[in-house]
This record gives sequence, structure tokens and C-alpha cells, in this order.
Amino acid sequence: MTELDVRLSNRLNAPVTRRRFMRGAASVALAGPLLTNPALMRLGAAADYSGETLRFLVINPHAGSIEPLSAAFAELTGATVEAVTVPYDQVTAQATLDVVSGANEMDVFQYWYVDKEALVRDGVLMDITDRIEADADLIDPDDFLGALYDTYTLVDGRRHGLPYDGDTHVLFYNEAILERNGLKPPTTWDEYFNVAKAVTEAEGHNGIYGALMMCKQFPIIIGSTFANRLGGFGGDFLDASGKPALASDAGIAAAQAMLNAAPYATPTPLETEFGNAIPVFLGGQAAMIEFWTDLGTWAEDPEQSAIVGQWGVVPMPVGGGNTVNRPALNAGWSFGVSAGSHNPDMAWEFVRMSATKDFHISVLTNNKTGVDPTRRSAMEAYRGFAPKQADAVEEAIENAFPWPTKPESPELMQVLTDQLGLMLAGDKTPEQAMTDAQAEWERILG
Amino acid sequence: MSADSTFRSEPDRLRFTGWTPLRWLATLAAVLFFVFPVVFLVMVSLKTQSDIATGGFFPTELFWQNYSDAFASVAVDLYLRNSALAAVIGAAITLLLAVPATHAMIRFKVGGRFLPGFVLATYVAPPIVALFPLFFLLKEIGLNNSIIGLGIVYGVMNLPVAFWLLSSFVRRLPVELEEAAYIDGASYFGVLRRVAIPLLMPGIVSTGIICLILAYNEFLLGAFLNKPDATKTLPTGLALYQGDRQLRYGQMAVASLAGIAPVYVLATFFQRWLIRGLTSGGVK
Amino acid sequence: MVTPMLAGLIVFAVYPFIYLVILSLMKANLAAPFFLDFSDRSLEFLADSYVGLANFSDAIGDTRYTDSLWRSVLYALVTTAGALILGVAVAVLVDRAVKGRSLLRTLILLPLMTPPVTVAVMWQLLLMPSGGWLNSFLMDLTVISQPVSFLGTSTYALPFLCLADIWQWSPFVALMTYAALQTQPADVYEAARLDGASGFRIFRSITLPMLAPALFAVAVLKLVIGFKVFDLVFVLTAGGPGQDTRLTTFHIYQEAIQQFDMGAAAAQTLLFAVMVGLITLPFTAAHDYAERRLS
Repeated sequence: MTELDVRLSNRLNAPVTRRRFMRGAASVALAGPLLTNPALMRLGAAADYSGETLRFLVINPHAGSIEPLSAAFAELTGATVEAVTVPYDQVTAQATLDVVSGANEMDVFQYWYVDKEALVRDGVLMDITDRIEADADLIDPDDFLGALYDTYTLVDGRRHGLPYDGDTHVLFYNEAILERNGLKPPTTWDEYFNVAKAVTEAEGHNGIYGALMMCKQFPIIIGSTFANRLGGFGGDFLDASGKPALASDAGIAAAQAMLNAAPYATPTPLETEFGNAIPVFLGGQAAMIEFWTDLGTWAEDPEQSAIVGQWGVVPMPVGGGNTVNRPALNAGWSFGVSAGSHNPDMAWEFVRMSATKDFHISVLTNNKTGVDPTRRSAMEAYRGFAPKQADAVEEAIENAFPWPTKPESPELMQVLTDQLGLMLAGDKTPEQAMTDAQAEWERILG
Repeated sequence: MSADSTFRSEPDRLRFTGWTPLRWLATLAAVLFFVFPVVFLVMVSLKTQSDIATGGFFPTELFWQNYSDAFASVAVDLYLRNSALAAVIGAAITLLLAVPATHAMIRFKVGGRFLPGFVLATYVAPPIVALFPLFFLLKEIGLNNSIIGLGIVYGVMNLPVAFWLLSSFVRRLPVELEEAAYIDGASYFGVLRRVAIPLLMPGIVSTGIICLILAYNEFLLGAFLNKPDATKTLPTGLALYQGDRQLRYGQMAVASLAGIAPVYVLATFFQRWLIRGLTSGGVK
Repeated sequence: MVTPMLAGLIVFAVYPFIYLVILSLMKANLAAPFFLDFSDRSLEFLADSYVGLANFSDAIGDTRYTDSLWRSVLYALVTTAGALILGVAVAVLVDRAVKGRSLLRTLILLPLMTPPVTVAVMWQLLLMPSGGWLNSFLMDLTVISQPVSFLGTSTYALPFLCLADIWQWSPFVALMTYAALQTQPADVYEAARLDGASGFRIFRSITLPMLAPALFAVAVLKLVIGFKVFDLVFVLTAGGPGQDTRLTTFHIYQEAIQQFDMGAAAAQTLLFAVMVGLITLPFTAAHDYAERRLS
């Protein structure tokens, strides 16, 4: 750990009070020895922005990142940082509205990679290819894991952001529950089904269930649950030529696997999303949950977890004829410079800082942020911080596959979400749901 | 209650046909139905996260920490102030515009049958797409991300409701009084100020309170027009809890209670006015 | 006198309305200009994006949208009927209460004062499968052995959404009805009583007709509010399960805010407004009729 890391982590481990970060950041800026610390240079400090205010848009689940980002940037440049939090399903609309209306209140946007083409098409994100190239030694793009760098930032051969949170799902399990039922963590979706069924049948009457399945009808929620199985069965959202591939054997098998396991999941999948799933898993009331890797850091925190030291993690199961681990890039957040920023140089410095190795490690190893690894070089620090997840992530992430990123993606995923919801509600068979989704995708993509 | 005694005349008692057990039970059931979710919210605000998962009614132990935590993690007090300000500004604007307009439209049949229909029609469409031009409009006059801007939007948004509620009060105004004032040489404004408005006062108050509540409760426009923490309103702040990585039901309950407590106090306080206003005007 | 109000409505209602109409004829996303003047950008947008009535025919051909329309009509009618019945019943009960009328009124007004977002949170807490009060209550009574997902099953989701709505808006109806009851002339009742009419008969042939204008006025407002409901769906069900609670406002929200198809959202808003107008029309007519008949 560098000196900065220590200082950052000391500060970050203080309770997060969203409302006070600005004042905190400002005082840090005044007190901190500006630009004299060699550790700061590795975050890319160059200019002094004292007296300036940087505004960035951030999704609510990342509220825990506001303080580290604000404090570090204030220390680095002297700027005051102001974060604006919005619900994750509104962030793209809010960003677009800000630029297109000419309000231009924001300097930096957090964005979901699935919306990147729509954002670039609408002129919301600035092209930062040249800036990245100029600072290539500091950013070290080759260091980003797997396909993550291109998936998150590349549109038509140009870069429009830098990765912040490298999201994939792994399968967490409760060791105590599996042990007392004589079960092993699953490696295939059939085994997953059997474990879920066995636990729920044995302990369901005590309120302990075999699995948590997040299927609330937000694309980012139920879409992730489907994508985990789609990858497991060797499928893809779109085939190599960009045509929909939902009505494939893998697509139907994935939907079927969801439907089969649903009766043995905590009631009920359609009402479950991360907000109400995590307390259940941390409370020791469910045997398995597919989740972003950061769940492990909370599971080890005795303040929020009743299962400290009693959980494990394995890569996503596989199924059908497929034996290769292919996790889906579920969620996945980057920062980009607003095309309407009043101070693109400063905004760029913020984006660059958020993606540098040192800063990434500092938020990666902070249990308030929920950030997952984006860089190979961070894996060592991550292994020290979260040994269990690190193996599962590293093993799989090189093969991770993305969700569709076309401008029509939001509509595609909404259609899929609805069809999966209909299936889980018992209104359609998996085959019908996938065939109907396929037909709608074909219509949308023309 | 003075309001009751004022408006219920003596023979009215004949209407009362006895306080039978059945009626007593029905009243109790109704009160229980309306109050229960609020009481349950109070219970949840005093529970630990694991206690909530058990689904019991009473907390197993009183967990007051939710209260300090909720106020520490989300700026409930700030959002509360913003919401209250926006609602008050909104209701004031609504009344300022709607009272004279409604009076004129009803009294002098301005706009014939078309205008009243038009006013109501503007309330019919959901404001989702309208958000975007509104946002632009506020930006152009430099009032985006401001409580005043949001207040103006609320003020205009509720005009049709105010018109619809006020018009029946205006219809019941005795025309003779206004005519007498004109004969005495009063101007239109004079009549409005000295004759119509005092008589309309109860109706104005009750309409104002309804518009106040509607503005205070508004969510979608607030979420898009006022983003920064400093200008966020309470419903928007409460909705943020929904996107948290862990739903902190206890804190969410505290924040919700903090949001409704002032309105409840206000309601109790103004209840007399509200009822009297509605009563003397008579909603037709 | 009317001018300031009209000016306000024109700026904040007519301008967005014209914008809505223009946008509904365009293939437009979030990047569409917000203000249309004679600048090059505006003219270029108008020329390049004009698609005629395609958005409207798409909307009519899209069963997800048309289903949501019928669902919204059902929702608005059911919640209005529910709120009217419950609200009138409560108003009559409170009206006849001897003691504690003030306290009763305050308690019954609580739901009306509660922001819909909070209403949704309350009902979420009551209806959750794990930790929800209703489930543990029913299980204690052994009515059910497994928790029921009230908001996650097709049978229950829409009815419970309606219930939450009726909970919130009955007090509004009760308040208005109560006020109207207070102003009813007592001599009519006296005469009826002396003629030996029964309680129910009096209610049906005297109370109800005199209440009629007030009830229709309230019904119109409640109908429109029911059509415009958004927060409840947004927090409680997100339109699920399947599309069982996807009301039109939520559909339009997704179309505009999540799928960025502003042209489609504009066309759908206009069609929806026409639908709301058509459903509300008989009620406004009935209101006018009842009022004329009474006076």
C-alpha cells in the first residue's frame, strides 16, 4: 500500500455521510500538501483546480464511491467536487437531458456500457481517444481485464470513457447450510437446481431456502440472472453476425433453468432484487446467490453479516454441452467526460484518476464502494482483500461475454425482461418466451 | 368541534339513527384500515434489519438507531425543507392565479363552455414527455435546479385541480352582494378583494391545502428537474433508498415518517379549516 | 382576470403540448431539440425525422401498449369505484359518529397526506413475502402454509396495487363527501323521517341524489389521478409480474426514459390523453347534469 492508499483508506473507512462529503472534501483540499506527494503523481496529478467545482453524475448504488472519489480528486487538484446521485435506471436519460438541453451542469457522467452507443450517438460523451493515448503510460490500457476495456468504452473505434467498476457475477454459497445438508457447491446448473431443491425441501419451513434468484423486472436485475445461465449453457445474446440468438438451444435451456429453480428460491424471484436479496443472504437464510463479487466483502463484515467466515464462492455453473466458464458482464460502469463540460481538462483528470491503478485498488479494497476489479495488476491487492472471490473472478473473466450494446439495447433488454417475467409468472413456456423475444428482437433490429 | 355546531342545525339530529354495535364495528374497521399501514411503518422504524425479516408486528427490541442513521445517511431534513418550500410556493402561485381566474370564468362566463373544458384537459396527459420541454424552459429562465422553479411548475400544474375545486365554491357565492358593491361604485378588483375573496376564504383554504399536498407528494418532475442534493425533494430522496445496495427498511421507514409527520401535524391543525372550508362552500 | 392563469397554462401546458404533437410525428430520441424555432438545427430535425403517423400506427399495433391502455382503464375505474364506495361509507359513518369526530377525521385523512412513494413503501412492507406483515399474519392463522408473493403473482399483483391506491384516495372522497353531507338541508330529512321512511330509503332517495354533484366531481378528479398513477407502480412492481401491472404511464416512462424513443412516447401520450378524455367525459356530463338538476 502506498502512503496515499493508507490515507485514503483511513478516511474511507469512516462512516459515509453523503451529505457531508463536500465539506469534508473541501477541508481536505485545504489541509492536504498539494502535489508534493509522489504517490499522488501516480494518480496523474498535473493541474491545480483550486476554486473550481467539478460535478459528476453517479448512480445510487455507487453512493459509497462518492466520498473516495471526491476526497482524492480534491486532494489531487484542489477542486471542489459535487456529486449528483440518481437512480440507476434514470442515469442515461439524465445525462442526455443535461447535454441536449444545453443545461450542461455536469462535467463527468457515470454510464452503463450497454447504453454507450446511444450516448455517443446523441453526443453526450466526449471522444477521449487522444487523451488516453497521450497518457497511455499512466493509464496502461493493456492492463484492463479481458474484453472489459473495449466493451465498456469503444464505439466505432473511438474511446469514450474509462472503466470504473468491472462487474461480473459469481456464485456465492453458505457453507453452513450446504454442509448440514450434505451438499457441495454446484458446478453445473443441474447441480444448482438439486442443491436449491434439497435445501428448500429440508429447511424451507424454517424460512431457509436453497437459492436467491433476483428476477425483479428491471433489465439489469432479471437480465443478469438470465445472462448467467445463457453463458453457462454456451449461448450469446447476439450471434457473430449480430443476429438475435435467444431462440437457440442455449437460450431456451437458460430460461428453462430459471423456471425450474424458481419454486425453490426465496419467495419470490419476481420480487427479488439486490436491495432485498443481500440482507437475506447475509442473514444466513439462503444457500446460494448469484451476485457481483463485492458481496463477499460485506459477508465478512460482522456489522452487516451473520455469516462471517461461513461462505464460499465458485464461478458461475455451466450446463448442457458447455464446459467453459463464461460469466456475463452484468452491469458494468465507467466514467466519461460530458460533451457539455465547462472544463473538459479537469473532467478528464477526474475520469483518468478514477481509472488509475492506485485509485482503483483503493476503492476495490474498500468495503463501502462495491467496486469490482477492472485491472490485472489489481488482482494481487484484491487477492489479499478478498481471497475467495479473486480466484473465481480471475478464472472466468477472460472469457466474459457482454450484453448487447447497440443503440436499441435498452429496448431489446426490456423486451427480454418482459418475456422472462411472463414466463416466471406462469403465462408462457420458456420456449414460447424465447421465441417471442427473438421475434421482437428481430423486428426491433430490422 | 365548532365547525360541526355551526353547520348542523337542530332538527338535524333526527338524521342520527343510533350508534349501533354494527356501526361501531364498521367505524373501527375503517379507522384500522386507514391507520394500520402507518402504524406498521412506525413499528418497522424501530426494528433491526433481522427483526424486520421475521414479519412480526411489534419490534422484539426497540432499535432507535434507525433514527440517527437515517438522518445521517440521507439529508432528510434538507429534502423536507425543499419539499415544503416548493409546495408552499406552488400552492401560493396556484391560488394567486386560480382564484381571480375561476371567479371571472364562472361569474362572467369568460370562455363559455370551451375554457373550463380546456383547463381540465391540460391536467389529463401524464407529464413524462412534457418533462423535457419543461426542463428546457426552466433552464432558459435560469430556474432549473431551484426550489422556485419547481414551485412554479407545481403551481401551474395544479391550476386545473384548483379550478375544478374552486368553481363550485364560486357558483354558490350570492351574486347580490357583489352587485350591491358594484352599485356602490366598487371596481372589479375591489369587489373581488372585499366581497368575493372573504366569502370564498374557506374554499380557498381547502383548495390551497389540497394543492399543497399534491405538490408536496409529487415525484417524477421533482426527480428530473431538481437533481443536486441541495434542491432535491423528499419523494425523490425517499426513492433513492429503493436503489440502495441493501434496502434498509428501518431507515426507509424513518425517512418516510419524517416526511409525513409535518403534513400530519399540518392536517390536524388545519383540519378544522379544511372541513369548514369544504362545508360552507359545499362541493358540488 | 383569466389572463395570468391562461398565460401560465399556455407556457407550461400548451407549449409542452405543441412539442408533444410535433414530436409524435417524428422519429426522435432523447437528442431531439427541445425548442423548435427556425434555426437550421430545428429545420433539419423536422425535415429528417418526419415519419407522419407511423408512431401512432406503431402504438396501436403494439399489444404491449394497447394492453396497458385497457389495464389503465380498468385500474382507473376500479380504484375510482372502490374509493367512492369506501369514501362515502366512511363519510357517512363519521358524519353519524357522536364523539371523537375530529379525531376520526384526522386519522382517516392520514393516507391522503402520505406521498405516494411512501404509500408504496408502506404496502411493500406489508406485502413482502419474507418479513411482510400480511404473510406472517396469514401464516399464523394457518390460512396459508407458504408465503404468498402478493406482488409477484398474476392473480394478486393488480388487485393489491388497486388496494394501495384505494387506501390512499378513499379519504379524499370521504373528505369531499363529508363536507357535502354537512351542507345538506336538514328539513328534508325531517320531513322524510316524519313520513316514516327507513334509514336506507332516506339514504337512497334523499342523501344520494343530493350528494350526486359532489360525488361526480370527485369521481372525475379521482379518475384522472388514477389514470396518471406512476409512483406506486414504479416502486411496488415495476410493471410486473410479466406485464400484469404495466399501466400506460409506466409504459410511457419506460419508452421515454429507458428506451429513449421520444417519438413513440409522445404519440402514446396523446392517444392516452384521448382515452382518458373519453372515459372521463360521461362523468363530467353527469356532473353537469346532476348540478343542473339540483339547482
